[in-house]
Amino acid sequence: MIKVENLKKRYGKTVALDGVSFELAKGQTFGLLGPNGAGKTTAIKLLCGLLKPDEGTVMLDGKTDPTLIDVRMSLGMVPQSMAIYEELSAYENLRFFGRMYGLSGRKLKDRIQKCLEIAGLANRSKERSCNFSGGMKRRLNMICSLLHEPPVLLLDEPTVGIDPQSRNLIFDTIEDMKNQGRTTIYTTHYMEEAQRLCDRVAILDHGKIMDIDSVENLIAKHGGPSHIEAELAEKLTSPEKIRPFIDGQNLNLEDKTVRFQTTRPMEALAKLNHSGLRFRSLKVQTADLEDVFLNLTGRRLRD
Amino acid sequence: MKKVMFLALKDLRVLFSNKGNIFFVFGYPALFALFFGAIFSGSGGQPSGMKIAVVDQDKSEFSQLYISQLESYEALRVVPMERDQAIDGVRKGKFFAAVILKNGFGDKLDRMFNNEQSAIEIASDPSRKMESQYLQGLLAKARFEAMAKKFTDRNWMAGQVEDWRNEVKSANDLDSQQAKLLLGFFDAYDALLKDVNDENFQMGFDGDIMSFATMDVSRERKGPVTSFQITFPQAMVWGILGCAATFAISIVQERRRGTFERLRLGPIGRAHILAGKGLACFITCASVVCFLFIGAKIIFKMPFRSLPLFILAAACVILCFVGLMMFICTLGRTEQSAGGAGWAMFMVMAMLGGGMIPLLFMPSWLKPFSNISPVKWSIFALEGGIWRNLTFIEMLRPFAVLLAIGTAAFIFGVMMLARQDK
Repeated sequence: MIKVENLKKRYGKTVALDGVSFELAKGQTFGLLGPNGAGKTTAIKLLCGLLKPDEGTVMLDGKTDPTLIDVRMSLGMVPQSMAIYEELSAYENLRFFGRMYGLSGRKLKDRIQKCLEIAGLANRSKERSCNFSGGMKRRLNMICSLLHEPPVLLLDEPTVGIDPQSRNLIFDTIEDMKNQGRTTIYTTHYMEEAQRLCDRVAILDHGKIMDIDSVENLIAKHGGPSHIEAELAEKLTSPEKIRPFIDGQNLNLEDKTVRFQTTRPMEALAKLNHSGLRFRSLKVQTADLEDVFLNLTGRRLRD
Repeated sequence: MKKVMFLALKDLRVLFSNKGNIFFVFGYPALFALFFGAIFSGSGGQPSGMKIAVVDQDKSEFSQLYISQLESYEALRVVPMERDQAIDGVRKGKFFAAVILKNGFGDKLDRMFNNEQSAIEIASDPSRKMESQYLQGLLAKARFEAMAKKFTDRNWMAGQVEDWRNEVKSANDLDSQQAKLLLGFFDAYDALLKDVNDENFQMGFDGDIMSFATMDVSRERKGPVTSFQITFPQAMVWGILGCAATFAISIVQERRRGTFERLRLGPIGRAHILAGKGLACFITCASVVCFLFIGAKIIFKMPFRSLPLFILAAACVILCFVGLMMFICTLGRTEQSAGGAGWAMFMVMAMLGGGMIPLLFMPSWLKPFSNISPVKWSIFALEGGIWRNLTFIEMLRPFAVLLAIGTAAFIFGVMMLARQDK
């Protein structure tokens, strides 16, 4: 569906993208995860033809020129900036952008109504959007790109600076799109979003992809071990009594508390369960994409 | 084309959603035309008479008749008031003169032999002799006309002739032959009064003492007929400048907030988007010109020498500034910087081109520089359709200059935009 090969882009002396390549099958949700300035927005702009690459190619459904009209019609981009006309109402914004995509008459009205319902703006559709909250504007910004029902969605940090309610509504919408079989590329610097929404994630830093894989595999490869902490009901006289049931390293027994690290936390918990020992509590701290990013780049995502 | 129309309509909706924009586009140029038009035309361009104060100390029937006679003259504007106030008004320049009708003004009229001092006093600036003489002529005319009205009163005349007869009889210093002649005339007049009926008597005194046939011959004018013919083209250009700056800023705003990118992602080309902006700017400029044209035509009855030439000139001016709009939007990355740079450029153009002060008042050494300003060519072209006696061939020069500037600026602007977006 989407194939990107060796994309390179420079702004003067600054290298924005340095040989980025990835592939994406139809219906997948693909995340570009990286801190600010990693090159995520540049990658999106190159994908939809707003920028021309210095080197490399982008193929969308077998076509190498994203500026072709039929390719444009198949794309829906939600820009990071609030790309709406705040002087117009939500309805007027949607009608205008719908007309730009060739929608008219009954179909346009139906699509506007549907999109307003998706965004929870149906009852404020006639109000000027300058009076909307940040979250409502973000939702309007998103549905303006969904009007023409594009098979490919490009979302560039669509949840920046919004309230949890609006964020959840946007997540639900993206998950609906995924269930409808749409292909989505989602850029973010929030690892929770990538973990929740994306089938595959590319870790991007300084214009380079550090690794691409599913979230589980990335964590397994780069996240490091999970930390398990168990509090026993009775004090053990010797750590040797529990050692046979520990599937991990760095065992530490302190009073009634046992701590160890493992790359297979579920299996380790199952083994402890069969040990015959009684536990008052069990805590599992698994690795996440933050750990993956830290281990791959030596920096935190929000550094 | 449909999408270009939708783009233009959207821009017009966005523009007119802001009341400040409406004032800036329509209100400001209208105020400009009215304000400067009124200043240059004095009292609104209407002909005005000589303003005089009249003091009626006599308060007789004849003094009232005399004042109403003065009021009937278009050449005078009569303001009745008290003596001190009237003289003070002359001193302060409010009135050209004060005309004082002294006590006994009415009595002296019906005296046969009047050797006393004049019953009318005129207070005026001695340096304005010509106007003073003109006023004296009008005052004398009014006196004769007022008297003529009295002579049509048959009863008054009968009593008056009797009074005059007694005056002649009692005049010791009058030559006997002359007295005889006058008394003979009075007897003949008495006989006439008996013989003639009222209608014929009235007709005998009807009409002016001296009548003139008048013919209106207006001096051939090379310049404008009213000052509004100067200020309205300037106002139209200011309105167009305002539109061009507003739309240039709106392009920068669209680029900054991302709607321009969103449009570029749609199934339309950059040319469509810019054509939509250009069309919206053209429609707004044309609306401003129409608005001012209607105001000038209906309210100020301003003559337009050639409507087709005016329309053609307006179209060329608008196209020129639509092109400049496209150039200005590339002058800054923010609304503030582009707006500031754009208005700075327009101000220089307006200063050099006669947009602020008509080129007529510009020193001769500066006039050649005005040729580089599109504002000069714009005003010149619009004036060509309003009052300048230019032929179509002569108008081709400003048209060509305006279209050339507009085209060059548009192409340059589009190229710069494309370059900035890379």
